[in-house]
Amino acid sequence: MPDGLDGELLERFVQGDQTAFETLFRQFEADVYRWIVRIVRDRSAADDVLVEAFWRAYRGRARFDASRSFGAWLRRIATNAALDHLREARKHTAWRIADDTMPAAPRPDQAITESIALAFRSLPLKLQIVATLALVEEQPYSDIADALDLPVGTIKSRVFRATRALRKELARLGITP
Amino acid sequence: MINDDQLFHLLRTALPAADTTAPSRDLWPAVVQRSEARIEVSSADWSLAALVAIALLMFPEWFWFLAYHL
Repeated sequence: MPDGLDGELLERFVQGDQTAFETLFRQFEADVYRWIVRIVRDRSAADDVLVEAFWRAYRGRARFDASRSFGAWLRRIATNAALDHLREARKHTAWRIADDTMPAAPRPDQAITESIALAFRSLPLKLQIVATLALVEEQPYSDIADALDLPVGTIKSRVFRATRALRKELARLGITP
Repeated sequence: MINDDQLFHLLRTALPAADTTAPSRDLWPAVVQRSEARIEVSSADWSLAALVAIALLMFPEWFWFLAYHL
């Protein structure tokens, strides 16, 4: 098995065994949670997205291919759930600069911070998620590509486009180093 | 124009990397609750189903037309 998981455990999960599901939940919860927090940047929202992601995994368990990595499959589901959350959040509220419960950042200038958040918010969601994961969270391109189910080349291209758009937007907002 | 290094520095200063390692509470009960939640069917869905059933009773020959498009 690609994750070093017991094949029988995965088989029981696919058949709907809740004990197997709980075992997998306990094993992957922390990793998936960390990934979701990186995307949604809000711990409280991350709780809801985690529950949604595991629910979607359980609901779609029949589509899991046991020859592939369970962790990667779960991360893709979590990424989609996080994206859905961000889409919904964009409709209703302003994008958060950072969750209040996240570690305080050294902020030399609040106006610059807000301008950067504004520039981020102006990015299309598909560029924003890639920019967050690659530029802020410094995740490897291969991990991002796997989570978004896209080729690495597409991720590189999106990072390039996001960087160019951010640079242009910051210049427009009058932000200079 | 801001260069890449300056841009990345600004980004990381404004948007700190998330360092959270685990949820603050056990979320397994919430997952179980979500999995066991009954699928809600809205009244609009019931109305639509009723309309289709009535239409099929009145015009049974529509069945194959509907079956083809569903």
